[in-house]
Amino acid sequence: MRILLSWLRDFVDIEESPRALAHALTMAGMAVDAVEEEDGETILEVDVTSNRPDAMNHFGMAREVAAIYRRPLRAPTSPVPESDAPASDLASVEIEDADSCTRYVGRVFTCVRVRPSPDWMRRRLELCEVRSINNLADLTNYVLLEMGQPTHAFDLDTLAGSRIVVRRAGAGEPLVTLDGQERELSPDQLAICDADKPVALAGVMGGAATEITEDTRNVLLEAAWFRPAMIRNASRRFKLFTEASHRFERGADWNATVRAADRIASLLGRTGPGTVLGGRIDCFPREPSLPAIRLRRERIARHLGVAVEDGEVEAILASLGFEASRTDSGWTVQASSHRLDVEREIDLIEEIARIHGFEKIPATLPAVGTAPIPTPHAAEDARMRAGVRGLGFDETIGFSFIGSEDARRFGGDRGVVLRNPLSNLWGVMRNSMAPTMVRAVEWNLKRNQPFVRLAEFGRIYRRAGQGHEEPRMLTLGASGAARLPSWTDASRPYGFYDLKADVLALVRPYRTDDVRIDTENLPAYLRQGHAAAFRCGSDTIATFGELDPALARERKIRQPVLLAEIHLDALYDRGLYKPSHRQQPRVPSVSRDFSLLVPDGVKFARIVEAVGAMPDLRSLEPAEIFRGKNVPAGHYSLLLRASWQRLDQSLTDEEVNAFSDTLRSSLDSKLGISPRS
Amino acid sequence: MSVLEKTARPITELIAEGDSPASLYGELRSVFETESASVAGARQARALRDRWLGRKSGVITATNRRWLKAAPRELKPVVGKLQNLLRKELEAAVKRAARTASAPARKDRRLDPTLPGPERVLGSVHPVRMALEEVLDIFRPLGYTVAEGPEIETFFYNFEALNFPPDHPAVDEMDTLFLKDGDLLRTHTSPCQIRIMEAQPPPLRYVVHGKVYRNDTADATHSPMFHQLEMFAVDAGITFGDLKGTLEHFAARFFGPDTKTRFRPSYFPFTEPSAEVDITCPFCNGSGCRVCKQTGFIEVLGCGMIDPNVLRNAGLDPESHQGFAAGFGLDRFAMLKYGIDDILLLYQGDVRFLRQFR
Repeated sequence: MRILLSWLRDFVDIEESPRALAHALTMAGMAVDAVEEEDGETILEVDVTSNRPDAMNHFGMAREVAAIYRRPLRAPTSPVPESDAPASDLASVEIEDADSCTRYVGRVFTCVRVRPSPDWMRRRLELCEVRSINNLADLTNYVLLEMGQPTHAFDLDTLAGSRIVVRRAGAGEPLVTLDGQERELSPDQLAICDADKPVALAGVMGGAATEITEDTRNVLLEAAWFRPAMIRNASRRFKLFTEASHRFERGADWNATVRAADRIASLLGRTGPGTVLGGRIDCFPREPSLPAIRLRRERIARHLGVAVEDGEVEAILASLGFEASRTDSGWTVQASSHRLDVEREIDLIEEIARIHGFEKIPATLPAVGTAPIPTPHAAEDARMRAGVRGLGFDETIGFSFIGSEDARRFGGDRGVVLRNPLSNLWGVMRNSMAPTMVRAVEWNLKRNQPFVRLAEFGRIYRRAGQGHEEPRMLTLGASGAARLPSWTDASRPYGFYDLKADVLALVRPYRTDDVRIDTENLPAYLRQGHAAAFRCGSDTIATFGELDPALARERKIRQPVLLAEIHLDALYDRGLYKPSHRQQPRVPSVSRDFSLLVPDGVKFARIVEAVGAMPDLRSLEPAEIFRGKNVPAGHYSLLLRASWQRLDQSLTDEEVNAFSDTLRSSLDSKLGISPRS
Repeated sequence: MSVLEKTARPITELIAEGDSPASLYGELRSVFETESASVAGARQARALRDRWLGRKSGVITATNRRWLKAAPRELKPVVGKLQNLLRKELEAAVKRAARTASAPARKDRRLDPTLPGPERVLGSVHPVRMALEEVLDIFRPLGYTVAEGPEIETFFYNFEALNFPPDHPAVDEMDTLFLKDGDLLRTHTSPCQIRIMEAQPPPLRYVVHGKVYRNDTADATHSPMFHQLEMFAVDAGITFGDLKGTLEHFAARFFGPDTKTRFRPSYFPFTEPSAEVDITCPFCNGSGCRVCKQTGFIEVLGCGMIDPNVLRNAGLDPESHQGFAAGFGLDRFAMLKYGIDDILLLYQGDVRFLRQFR
């Protein structure tokens, strides 16, 4: 908010430069964002935190200044020129809902004339960016800026029965507020009513029918205290955020109602024209009790790490407007209606700390009291990240939200849905990370990137029982060249086998002896026949393959996009292999090639399975796969390379021959495949 | 004797000395593979072909003569097959070598060490992750345990337990994203304080990090999702001075040894006293620049002593335990440290941006 230096000086002496003052306020918790000079006036732009409604005005800010510099504070009091006729003759106030309205102070002004305010007042208002309206409206705004107490002026002659009743609104009771909107009230809201009907939405906005106009002659001024929750609900319900609701919902001061009403009366006496009737109509059914707070000397030191002298403590409390009396262990401090945020010992310690100065508290380091607990799966995660990086994938992070269409198509269900999403495209917590990855790949392809290799570590979200679960996932996305283009190597596109190799390289360090490849039950977003999964037992470790070309086309992607989802929780739970050395063979391996003619339907895995676990068989690899010329239709030609090896003994020719025969006969008997002649 | 020398001798002698046809051919293949692997350029490819498949003096011709033809009858089929397999394989490999060596390199007779090799790159680490690792490297040696916690939270953990008054505007200020099922996306990492205090007795030293969410429209400095990191300590005698010391140490390590910190009183529902921490602007070293709006300082984190109500809500007695907590946006730290001017760059996945962080 804007604070005028000259206005502050009404209440406290300030010799410091504006910059020095700004710094001092900032270091006491009143963050001064800017110091501006305007029309010969110095203006501080202060960011007051929401717990300090008391400082959202000039007098309250002056109290801070007085506390910081330990200077006397002058309250804005001035004599009220009252007439002999009592106000209570002309108007009455009744509070029906004392829980919601703690105090209602009324004053009555007669013989007023509505006209412009004096220049000095208009200038202050305008420097505070409040538009000057007329002398009566300006008075309420002026006192709001000065003391923080919202007030409201009614045209007394429009109030039925010259009466104010503070009560809950009836269901559907209408009220046209000052902004010209007709509002339908409900019993959740507190209404200021006359004898018949609501005339204002309490603490938020006045009504149009009882507004001050040029013809207004008699005025009822309201200065009240409303329960913050009540005001907040009403203000949110109607999306009406006013200066008054802002103050009330943060908590005003019920004792300030009297001072504000008097201040306005006094100013009206000065600026006129108008007569202030005698006395206030003060409806204060019961004063809320405020605690006496025990403040222990030892606790101050224990929280701050440094002792503060008694004299300093007392001076700070007094300058902030608190009454403290000494006890054996420290003080008893009476909580005050001007600082409802201070109700506990710790609140007082904070006040002492901030006025004493945080910079006076010496910096120390706590002793390391305890050994840290290792983060679960830290080693597993570090290994995965190193692997992903080593394979050349760039780490990306995408938003956790996706659209409902993507949730259905990629995740297979509705997902966890947001109630107030930022947009429809972000309506669901992702139940698959694939759409996020597709989006990132798409972004890069549209920018003509020839080599896209992305990885994202993240979570997916789903309901689990009464709550949710957020399993960790890793997605890979790749498109474009398999290698960075170079003059040394011919380029070829990254394909399914590249992805499979990358995924396998990443899962290999984990205990996945029982890993098997599965070509069934795959996510629907992957191209049929161009996808697979690695599973261990009942766990899925990874699913991977090419993005369904139909989905790619929708995104105007015209080249294969390869996607993998790696289920990190399942993998990390299995743990890493323990590093251990095994003796390496001393003799070379012996390999034999078998040229096979394989029917198209027979997958390589079945050949491996048919060969089975042979003794000393070290590897079984496809050395060459060929289709076309010289290969009969419906078949492919496979050059299968088998290697055998023993630890420390050469295999004899006879043994290898025998192995080869076994291998051949296995293939023949189980799959009907025989070597090509 | 190398296997190449053996090709000059009849196979019967070699078998008598303990070799087998399979091992002889196997060894030959290995030698060939080693040689062919180092072939570069068309000339070397031709030399490879001549040496192994040359009609007169090639290795295959030699084995045909000395091994296959000289083989005893009973071994003939075996040796014949091995000979055939190797020949086929060699022919294919030589062809491949010739193809690879052809086009661009045909005229390059000499090696040019200044030519670039085929580019190999390590993947990049996301700048937010990079910043996180740096922060963790500072806190781990101080005895802090690292945790993440759930992103989907309940109103209780995100607000109530953290001493947000139920009707207080502070709840609105958080701009919460709610789920249809009644839960919400955590607006900060602080709910983890409660979860950890509930689960484990003090002393506690924790760093909690992860994604948090706000109903904020995206622009250069706001993102509906960002990363927060929070550190807290609970013990019998933790003081505000300890908080200052810990954060001063951290700021000097993260932003550089000349970094000065400034603690300003502030307000958070879950700490008291609360403070905002400013550091001397890392861009101008405090002399004033565009980034710090000429103030020489930038605000980097919020902190304070854990409010007694929070300790109580987590089942601890505030008379016997105290603690401090501090939290900040990792995205902002990454942006400050690496000079990133738009937070949304972090979430686009643009490889040109990401590859700056190899």
